[in-house]
Amino acid sequence: MKPSLLRSTLLLAVAVAMMLVWVFPVAWGLLTSLKTERDVLAYPPTVVFEPTAANYADIFSGSASIVPNLVSSFIVSGLTTVLTMLFAIPAAYALARLELPWKRGAGFWVLATQMLPPVGLVIPYFLLLRKIGWTDTYQGLVLVYLTFALPFAIWLLVSYFEEIPREMEEAALLDRAGRLGALWHVILPQAKGGIAVTVVFVFLNSWNEFLFAVVLGGNTVRTVTVAMFNFISLEQTQWARLAAAAMAGMAPVIVLGLIAQKHIVKGLTVGAVKGGGRR
Amino acid sequence: MSAASLALRGIIKRHGAVTALAGIDLEVAPGEFFSLLGPSGSGKTTTLRIVAGLEHADAGTVLLDGRDVTAHEPGARDVAMVFQSYALYPHMTVRENIAFPLRMGGAPAGGIDPAVREAAARVRIEHLLERKPGQLSGGQQQRVALARAIVRKPALFLLDEPLSNLDAKLRVETRVELKRLQRALNVTALYVTHDQEEALSLSDRMAVFMDGRIVQVGTPEEVFSRPATVEVAGFLGNPPMNLLPARLEHGRALVEGTTLDLPALAALGARDVTLGIRPSAVRIAAAGLPATVTMCEALGEDFYADLMVGEHLVRAKLGNGPRPAERAQVCLALDAGALHVFDRQTGTRL
Repeated sequence: MKPSLLRSTLLLAVAVAMMLVWVFPVAWGLLTSLKTERDVLAYPPTVVFEPTAANYADIFSGSASIVPNLVSSFIVSGLTTVLTMLFAIPAAYALARLELPWKRGAGFWVLATQMLPPVGLVIPYFLLLRKIGWTDTYQGLVLVYLTFALPFAIWLLVSYFEEIPREMEEAALLDRAGRLGALWHVILPQAKGGIAVTVVFVFLNSWNEFLFAVVLGGNTVRTVTVAMFNFISLEQTQWARLAAAAMAGMAPVIVLGLIAQKHIVKGLTVGAVKGGGRR
Repeated sequence: MSAASLALRGIIKRHGAVTALAGIDLEVAPGEFFSLLGPSGSGKTTTLRIVAGLEHADAGTVLLDGRDVTAHEPGARDVAMVFQSYALYPHMTVRENIAFPLRMGGAPAGGIDPAVREAAARVRIEHLLERKPGQLSGGQQQRVALARAIVRKPALFLLDEPLSNLDAKLRVETRVELKRLQRALNVTALYVTHDQEEALSLSDRMAVFMDGRIVQVGTPEEVFSRPATVEVAGFLGNPPMNLLPARLEHGRALVEGTTLDLPALAALGARDVTLGIRPSAVRIAAAGLPATVTMCEALGEDFYADLMVGEHLVRAKLGNGPRPAERAQVCLALDAGALHVFDRQTGTRL
């Protein structure tokens, strides 16, 4: 065997192994979601079984429906994402461009908020929200999510804005676009890839969040991650329904990723052409 | 398009403790092609950016056609700029790039397309309108940047080293075209460059910058033939002027231990000076300043010789006269008419 062939075979093997590690739980979850509870508990586990859609029927309608929870998750994650981008884009642009005193310090403190362990904050936040009567409300949970999402989004976006040459907006300013016009017409279109990446991350983080959702939510605001937990109880764990709920919870994120992927890749190639030396 | 006059009065700019511009005064006449020439870090680009409104001066005023625009935003000054990097918008087509200043300026939609096509035709890029900047060569991108600047017919045209990213042949071609364009459009142009050849060939007048100050303003011919300071003398010309320290004694000059008779300089009395002589004015003669030939270079019609006068290098551009051999001992004649005399202490022309 030639060394290069050996090398590529080994690399392929490693890649397949890593893929399997990643794919296995998802595939297993998918299989479980199509089994009856009896098949789930069969020992040794079986991969040959008669698939059933009953679990999906259960979680999309009926008493165990997670549809309201999916809606809750959409409202919380959607609001968090929109508000985050609304504030983070101007903030990141300012940090990347304007000569502000304390800019460095501000940048550090923005990042420092990401270093706090969330579990240490959950009780103070709970007490705060209870004081103002915002526990189990959308505004309460979104507000708390913003405290994490905003610094993260700003930090991510600043690096994208900094990559765009200053002369771009200087040219736009001379072309009578004004600061906001320069941001809108010249900077944002070039930062599209970075903005798409940030949107995906912010949405994903709040969609997947569990700790704050379980403590600060309640009967009104119960996101899908919390609702899934309901299939686990002292007497019995409904594995098949839990798996079906997990699949349903994963789907929107995967769709978002697929939509954004095009923009992300586009953003990357624009950068490549610019750096490609043909100036 | 009406060409505007430009005046700078007492412009001072500091970056922290560093003084970038230490009082700039400048008058540019309408329709003039005016260059700001100087080594890098001398303040010429900062001056241009202050005129554009991209930077604010710590003191002083900028007058466009007599109107004080010091506090105006860049977009409110009616100036257009060509950046060194061109700064084309990469997500827009060439057409959109050129149309952008018109769109932002609120031009009527019907007028935009004809104006874009006219500007594109001026710089001969009509066939590239649907391309993106990333698909163009450097020279084509440069033309797009020019078209974007001329499309809105600005009162003042600012150019920041626009030719420095082009290769040598294209640079000379574009230089000629720039001048033609500026004449055809009859627009005032402020041109920043560190390339003396560009400044000398393009400018109606030019200002030479050194360390945040303007040391000389004049036509290229004036600046070249009568440099105001020893720095300007040493900066201009290729190769630059030779400079030799000397002591003047009422019509005689003591240079590197040799006494030369220069009765024409008798009026300058007795003082320490720096003598400047252009390489093309150096002559080899039977008597004069002794020198050793260290290197000879024949470049086509021209013949260059490096000569050591004491510890000082003198470059000579010799025409059809006698050509010395390397390591030969020769004498240099210094004609008073070809000498530039500068005060040793102040560096100013005497």
